[in-house]
Amino acid sequence: MSGRARVRARGMARSPSAAGAGRALAPPSPASVDLGNSEASSTSGFVGTSRMSEKCEDVIPSGDAGCTFIERGGKIRWDFTDLSVCTREKLAHVRDCKRGSSGVPVKLVTNLFSLDLPQDWQLYQYHVAYVPDIESRRLRIALLYSHKELSNKAKAFDGVILFLSQKLEEKVTELSSETSRGKTVKMTITLTRELPARSPVCIQVFNIIFRKILKKLAMYQIGRNFYKPSESVEIPQHKLSLWPGFAISVSQFESRLLFTADVSYKILRNETVLEFMTGICQETGMSCFTQTCEKQLLGLIVLTRYNNKTYRIDDIDWSVKPTHTFQKQDGTEVTYVDYYKQQYDITLSNLNQPVLVSLLKSKRNDNPEVRVAHLIPELCFLTGLTRQATSDFQLMKAVAEETRLSPLGRQQRLARLADDIQRNKDARFELETWGLHFGCQMSLTGRVLPSEKILMQDRVCQPGSAAEWSKDMRNCKILSARSLNKWLVICSNRDENVTEDFLHCLRRVGGSMGFNVDYPKIIKVQENPAAFLKALQKYVDPNVQLVMCILPSNQKSYYDSIKKYLSSVCPVPSQCVLTRTLNKQGMMMSIATRIAMQMACKLGGELWAVEIPLKSLMVVGIDVCKDEFSKGMVVVGFVASINPGITRWFSRCILQRTTTDVADCLKVFMTGALNRWCKHNHAPPARIVVYRDGVGDGQLKTLIEYEVPQLLSSVTEASSNTSAKLSVIVVRKKCAPRFFTEVNRSLQNPPLGTVVDSEATRPEWYDFYLISQAAGRGTITPTHYNVIYDDNGLKPDHMQRLTFKLCHVYYNWPGLISIPAPCQYAHKLTFLVAQSVHKEPSLELANSLFYL
Amino acid sequence: MDNCEVPSKKVIEFKPPVYEQRYCFVKNLVNRHGLRKIADLGFGDATLLWMLKYHRCVQYLVGVDIAARPFEWGGGRLSPGVGGYIVPRELDLTITLYRGSAVQKDSRLCGFDLITCIELIEHLDSEDLAKFPEVVFGYFSPGMVVISTPNSEFNPLFPASTFRDPDHRFEWNRTQFQTWALDVAKLYNYSVEFTGVGDPPAGAEHVGYCTQIGVFQKNIAKATESSISEPEEHVPEEHIYEVVYTTSYPSLQQSKYFRLTLSSESVKAIGLMKSRFLRGLRKREGDRVVPLGSCTPQFGLTEAQRAEIEQSPKPYSVGEKFYVPLERLIIYPKVNHLVAGSMEKLRTILAEGLLLNGDQSAVQVELVDYQTQRLFDEHLISPVLESLMEEQDEYSENYILRAVSIGQTTLVAIARDKMGRKFTSAPRQIEITRLE
Repeated sequence: MSGRARVRARGMARSPSAAGAGRALAPPSPASVDLGNSEASSTSGFVGTSRMSEKCEDVIPSGDAGCTFIERGGKIRWDFTDLSVCTREKLAHVRDCKRGSSGVPVKLVTNLFSLDLPQDWQLYQYHVAYVPDIESRRLRIALLYSHKELSNKAKAFDGVILFLSQKLEEKVTELSSETSRGKTVKMTITLTRELPARSPVCIQVFNIIFRKILKKLAMYQIGRNFYKPSESVEIPQHKLSLWPGFAISVSQFESRLLFTADVSYKILRNETVLEFMTGICQETGMSCFTQTCEKQLLGLIVLTRYNNKTYRIDDIDWSVKPTHTFQKQDGTEVTYVDYYKQQYDITLSNLNQPVLVSLLKSKRNDNPEVRVAHLIPELCFLTGLTRQATSDFQLMKAVAEETRLSPLGRQQRLARLADDIQRNKDARFELETWGLHFGCQMSLTGRVLPSEKILMQDRVCQPGSAAEWSKDMRNCKILSARSLNKWLVICSNRDENVTEDFLHCLRRVGGSMGFNVDYPKIIKVQENPAAFLKALQKYVDPNVQLVMCILPSNQKSYYDSIKKYLSSVCPVPSQCVLTRTLNKQGMMMSIATRIAMQMACKLGGELWAVEIPLKSLMVVGIDVCKDEFSKGMVVVGFVASINPGITRWFSRCILQRTTTDVADCLKVFMTGALNRWCKHNHAPPARIVVYRDGVGDGQLKTLIEYEVPQLLSSVTEASSNTSAKLSVIVVRKKCAPRFFTEVNRSLQNPPLGTVVDSEATRPEWYDFYLISQAAGRGTITPTHYNVIYDDNGLKPDHMQRLTFKLCHVYYNWPGLISIPAPCQYAHKLTFLVAQSVHKEPSLELANSLFYL
Repeated sequence: MDNCEVPSKKVIEFKPPVYEQRYCFVKNLVNRHGLRKIADLGFGDATLLWMLKYHRCVQYLVGVDIAARPFEWGGGRLSPGVGGYIVPRELDLTITLYRGSAVQKDSRLCGFDLITCIELIEHLDSEDLAKFPEVVFGYFSPGMVVISTPNSEFNPLFPASTFRDPDHRFEWNRTQFQTWALDVAKLYNYSVEFTGVGDPPAGAEHVGYCTQIGVFQKNIAKATESSISEPEEHVPEEHIYEVVYTTSYPSLQQSKYFRLTLSSESVKAIGLMKSRFLRGLRKREGDRVVPLGSCTPQFGLTEAQRAEIEQSPKPYSVGEKFYVPLERLIIYPKVNHLVAGSMEKLRTILAEGLLLNGDQSAVQVELVDYQTQRLFDEHLISPVLESLMEEQDEYSENYILRAVSIGQTTLVAIARDKMGRKFTSAPRQIEITRLE
């Protein structure tokens, strides 16, 4: 896993389905245009001494009366939907205890804070009806809040549903208010539910309360997180501002309610859409200006200068200019120029700019009317980083320097947040009226699993550091390798000498690791992608074992065209090496070693192994990745071990058209893998453990209902008598909890192999956290494992240790990695296909790790 | 009260609504006079304050309301917003909200340019109404006061026959309001003009505006005497109001935001220059590579500005660094405006955030970054010319009009001499400066 690959992966995190959406409705009808200033427009008629509240903005969805709070969905956060999936109760062997036993106990500090409630605490849910009915949510809220009965109570209200921590005297309370226009409005407040503190609805209300509190601490909500602009860090040379802040949530953990806070940074760009467009125009000229703009801008999230809101660009309307008029909500016509001058005292400098079109999400789910917002490019700021930006080493270095926090630095930020919450008068008041007590930071005990031995062909080595054992492996023979006799090297004319030097090195290191490399046929070509491709077409035939390309630049077109041709059209393993890499003097031996190992794997070789006590165990990794080009396509990768030593792999990959990231083809893949296993081992495997990565928020239920049955059915069909036992584990690299160990009064990352299976886990899941990767700088994010299906009935301890063992056998890195190797293989495979190949790789390659 | 079917008087609809017209009235007044320090008594939902905060001239906004509650103002629409940090205002702005009454004295309300009482006085009972002029005109004594109140002569046009709001203690006709206002003005040495918003419908012009407004202006003689800007000298500190919310806006008056804005404007200008530099023809002069053509952005500048920029020292590159002379940068309108033409200021402030060259005469940036990388990836980059026309004498004068690149390393130059004759050079290999 190279840094470049990781960076690329991050750059892709753009929203996938932007392109088509806006098109369908262009040109948008000016009558329904909303300029994104709903703050100004929705206060109609209600003035006087009562005021509106900013409370529960957007957090509680407002909708039809009668529906229960949780069912109306749509905006419910993932942890609530996923948390309602109780998988543990079906797993008898962990119902009482899901804790392991082996390893050395270690005390860990967390980023979790206790949140205490009185024993008998309850939340009261009311429904509020207005007669006559009032549309405006602001007005609804203002009318209710102006009442003395409610003014001193802790409350959360979205316009329909009201939550109180104290019960009203009557089950049904009638109030009446008058608007400034003299209209009498009757409000009926009816108790609908009494909720215990553990109910998911309560958890959601707690989250709303904390959002309010963080806003009170002068933080801004962007997306789900809160940021402090007053402490921003500027990187002027890259036109960036970094805002420090927190991702926060309240949820029910193993034994209690906890508040989680993790440090987060928001990257803001000091660049308007207009400036961005000007740049494009200067670079590309007018000929393909509009296409380039649309290609680069559609789907991006922009921030408007005047009203603190974010919008997604769904379309660009080139026919509308700022001098055109639109209809305001009160029906008057005004030009964009005049509107911004009058409303915000902003003078638009460019009167020829087009307008950006953004589809607005309907607040009410039943409202079929599509509303669009017109935005002026000059007033919109770009947010986030483009793929080009994330691949800029200088820029990413500057960002990393600011954002990478040591465990101690992180802890200091957390302590300050906790302090701020406890000290702020209003925050304290709010918590007290709800009856909440914000407690101290939680510590817990984890265990450090025993370290693993690495099995080589001629010896067993106990690495000095499990983080990396390349030194320990020097002069060791790898487990097995086919000798490389017939292979090609393609390089540009200029790189002939450097190639010769490199080949010399490669053959030497190959020999010492037990991988025999013969001298290849060298083909010299011109320095352009087409010439490389032509050489491949001319010289590669099925007898060629491997093709190596020495690439003169890291231009994507070289890599993509080579990989595409050799993965699907003419399936031969390939190895690309940059000239620049080979020019690094003094590192030649270690570079050659790494490349030799990759090549050995691509030929079906095995490098090293760890001891697996379970005989006849197949492990599987599944990952899903969005295709870089074709929006709406996802790539599903499936990698299964085909020998008991877990050193040989069967890899499949498919592109599927779907809106969700749910794999559709698992039955076929699983059956294929089982057949392959049987062929090699003459009997089906006794146990199968599947690690599923790439699961999005809120998909847990779909996974259980859709993917697990696919796997199960192919397993039962495969064997006539006793079918293999299956376990399915969801792997998540992103999770909220963080763990630190205290060493010499300072904090450090926990040791490798630290397992946490209590307190920070969830009561409704069979889950644990494992730290299996080292970080030189910064803070480690633990990996979360959630066993959603388990026939195997392995003890939790064994499950944890097996997972840890599997983090040792990723052949691209002689050391531990953050997720089990099969997952990382599946990720590597899907990434290659999604980024470069865009096609299903040939089945002939399935037996080798051709994608390393 | 289900008698909706009873035909009622036609409801009068204002476009835009009257409340908005009232606020716009204040807004225009603020703009016209360039008022700096404004207080709104009875700010309600703070819509007026919110509208006023966008004005460049406004620097202090204060709201006072008897029913203001603290928690409702956290992170609300009076806060600067993300955009406020990215594009800071020119001038500082502080917004403070107080819980308090318009008939209580608080010295923090003294010395304002304008105090507005929009639809406020009709909520006061007779006792408070009597105290009101002394507090607002006598004690706060601002430069201007705007008071709006319903015009009861208009009421018959509404369906409801009583007051417009149950909390109203009275609704005056024009004579009542004007008598009261003139008395107050006389007593506290203000002059007053009457106007209103909410035009009556056709045929009912005699009733006057829906809302009547009095604009009071402090008489100048008095104003100079009791100096608006230094009220503290006369007024002892008296803090009755409770602060409910306060926020200050980032602005160019604060060094952090000034530096940020100046460097980001400079970097933007440099970025555009750089991409033009790389796309245009360049030649080597010693260790420098200099542009042959113009490096001025095509957009956002007037002809005169472009001409001036063309005259200034050109940007150049050395190795992988790109340099823009400060003398050129300072001509860019946005940069020039920020530093008010001061080269020293530009140099000092840029040196804090960006890299300058050895003699501090130019800004240094990387030639290749994520934005110019595209030029390299897509071969949009043009080569460096090394003295194309070797055989020149003092009589020849070359203008390179066009260079056609063939492949990537071969170039043909087409030139015309003074006589207008066209020469085409033989295709020749050009060294491309490799930028890794």
